[in-house]
Amino acid sequence: MLKLIAKRMGLMVVMLLGLAVITFTVANIAPGDPARLAAGPDANQEMVEQIRVERGFDRPLPVRFVLYIEQLLNGDFGTSVYTGRPVAKDIAQFLPATVELVLFSISIAILLGVPLGVIAAVRQNRPIDHAIRLLSVSGVALPMFWLGLMLQWYLALNLDLFPLGGRLGIFSDVPEPITGMISLDAVLRGQFAVVGEALWHMILPATALSLPALAAIIRVNRAEMLEVLGRDYVTNARAQGIGPWRIIAVYSLKNAILPTLAMIGLRFGWMLGGTVLVEGVFDFPGLGLYAAKAAISSDFEPIMAVTLTLGAAFMLINLVIDLLYAVLDPRVRNQI
Amino acid sequence: MDPLLDIQNLSLVFDTFDGTYHAIDDVSLSLKPGEALGLVGETGCGKSVLTRAAFGLVPSPPARITQGSVKLDGMELLGLSDRALRQVRGRQVAMIFQDPMTYLNPVFKVGTQLVDAIRAQHGGAIDRKAAREIALDMLEKVHLPNPLRQFESYPHELSGGMRQRILIAMALAARPKLLIADEPTTALDVTIQAQILDLMAELVDDMNLSMIMISHDLGVVAQVCSRVAVMYAGKIVEDAPIRDIFDSPLHPYTQGLLGALPHPFRPADDLESIPGNLPDLLDPPPGCRFAGRCTYRRPECTVPISLENVEPGHSVACVLRPGEAATTDSATKDLNHA
Repeated sequence: MLKLIAKRMGLMVVMLLGLAVITFTVANIAPGDPARLAAGPDANQEMVEQIRVERGFDRPLPVRFVLYIEQLLNGDFGTSVYTGRPVAKDIAQFLPATVELVLFSISIAILLGVPLGVIAAVRQNRPIDHAIRLLSVSGVALPMFWLGLMLQWYLALNLDLFPLGGRLGIFSDVPEPITGMISLDAVLRGQFAVVGEALWHMILPATALSLPALAAIIRVNRAEMLEVLGRDYVTNARAQGIGPWRIIAVYSLKNAILPTLAMIGLRFGWMLGGTVLVEGVFDFPGLGLYAAKAAISSDFEPIMAVTLTLGAAFMLINLVIDLLYAVLDPRVRNQI
Repeated sequence: MDPLLDIQNLSLVFDTFDGTYHAIDDVSLSLKPGEALGLVGETGCGKSVLTRAAFGLVPSPPARITQGSVKLDGMELLGLSDRALRQVRGRQVAMIFQDPMTYLNPVFKVGTQLVDAIRAQHGGAIDRKAAREIALDMLEKVHLPNPLRQFESYPHELSGGMRQRILIAMALAARPKLLIADEPTTALDVTIQAQILDLMAELVDDMNLSMIMISHDLGVVAQVCSRVAVMYAGKIVEDAPIRDIFDSPLHPYTQGLLGALPHPFRPADDLESIPGNLPDLLDPPPGCRFAGRCTYRRPECTVPISLENVEPGHSVACVLRPGEAATTDSATKDLNHA
C-alpha cells in the first residue's frame, strides 16, 4: 500500500511537469505581450523593453521554462499582475472556496446519483426509470454555464428564493478562517446560522456544477447495477433466501460501485474545470473565478499556478479513488 | 408415499421482442422423499429454468408461468409471496450451481457470505455468532482442510473445488429437505469432479436429502441418481429408473444421448452425434418436438403427445413402444446413417 502511494507520488511529479510544459507553451504562444501587460497601459516603449529584460521575457522559451521550474522549486509562484499580490497568497485565499464548492457539489452528485442509479436499475423500464433517465440525459445535454444562468435568473432573480451569488450575505459574520471553507469554519467556530447561509449560497452554483456529474454517476451506476443483478452470485444469494434489500444495497452495490467510483474520480476533474464557468456566473470568489480573470488579462503566473494546483488536486483525488478501490475490492488489494 | 416435490403440467414462456418463447411446456415431474433424480438434456432444453422457476428464481418479466402447479410437501408454491418463497428457498430447498467461480460474491469474505446465508435461512432468528458456529461446522462437514482459514478468505483466494465445497456447505447449512444441484461438477476438472460427487453422495445419505441433479452428462447422473428424467426442448420425453435408461431406453432422443456418451474403450470417432438442431421454441411444432430430428418419424408424430406409463416406473412421450424400435446400438447406427 505504502509502496503504491510512493510510486504514485513519484508519477505525479512527472505528470505535473508534463502539465507545466503544456500550460507554459500554450500560455506563451497565446497572443499578447506579457511585458506590455506588466508595464501597464501608460508605460512607454522604453519602459516596456526594460521590464522585458528585467523579467526575462526576452530569453528563449526553453530557458524561461527552466528558470520558471527553478522558481517553483524554491516555492515561489511569482506575482500576479492583476491583483499585485504573490500568487501563492492568492491561491491560499481562493482555493478553499473552490474546494468547498466542489466537495459540496460532488457530495450532491454522489448522494443522489448512486441511489437513483440503483432505483433505475431495480425498476428497469418502469416509469421511474424513464423519469430518472430524463434527468440524466438533461444532465449530459445542458451546458453548465447556461444552467447556472437559468437557475440564477429564475430561482434567484425572479422568485428570489436563493441569493444571486457570492459566498455569504454582506452583513454576515464571516467566521475566523481555520480551513478557509466558510461552512466548515462556521461549524468549527459554532456559528451555526452562518453554516446554513454558506450552504444556501452554494446551492445554485453546486446544482449547476453537479448536474453533469450526477448524470454520469446515474448512468454508470444503473448500467453496473443491471449487470451485477444478473450475476450468478446474486442468483445464489437469492437461492439462499437472502432478502432483496440486502441483496441490492449490500451484495450488489458493493460490486457495482467500483466502476462508478472511477467515474466519480473523472468527474472531479471536470468539476474543477467547471468552476471557471460556474464561479464566473455566480460571482463565487474561488480559484475558477481567479483563473478566469487571470486568463482574460493574460496574467501568466497565476494561470500556471492555478493549472498546476488543479492538476495536482485531480491527481490526488484519483490516488484516493484508487486506494478506495483497494479498500472495497479484495482482488485489487492483493495486487498492490 | 406422498411426493416431496410435485410439479404438475407446468408451462413457462419468456416474452421476448421476437415473440413468445415456449421454454417449458406442460411438464410434470415428481420426487419422492429420499429419492435422487437426474434431470438430463442438452444445453437450452429448459432443465435449469424448470427447477429455478419452481422456486421463484426466474425473473418475471420476461418469464411468465402460464399453467401448472408446484407443490412442496403438499404446499402450493406458485403464487406465494416473495417473502414466503424466500423462506422456502433458504430453509427447505437448497441449490448449488454450475460454476463455483462465479456463484460467490467476489468482494465479501466467504465467512460473511456463509453467515448471511445461514441467518437468512433461519429467517433472521439467530445471531451472527450462532450462524458462525453453524458455518464452521458445515465447512468441516464438506471436508475443507482448514475451516477457520477458509472462513476468513475471499473467494478469489480459493480453488474451484474449495469454492464448490463452500457453496455446498452454504446450501446445506439449513438442513433442507431438497437439494437442487445444477450441473455442480461441470466446471471442475475430472479428479475434483469425482471428489465433489463423492461428497454429495455422502451428504445426501447423511442428511437424508432428496436431490434433483441437473446435468447433461448421463455418466455423472449414473453415479448419484436412482432415476432419470430426460428433457428435450422444454418437455420431458422419458422418465425411468437409471438402469432402464441405460438398458432399454425407449425415446429415440434418449437413445441418441446414450450413443453420444464417450466410453473409455471406444474410440472417439465412434461417438454418435444427433443430426439437426433444437426446434425453434418461438414457434414449436405442435406434436413431438424431437420429430424433426428423429429417424423413426411417423405421420402421427405431429399430434401432441404426453408422457405415458409403459412399464412400472418408466414413462415415455413417444408413439414407439418397447420392441418397436431397434435397440440402442442399432438405433444409433440408424441415426448415424440418417
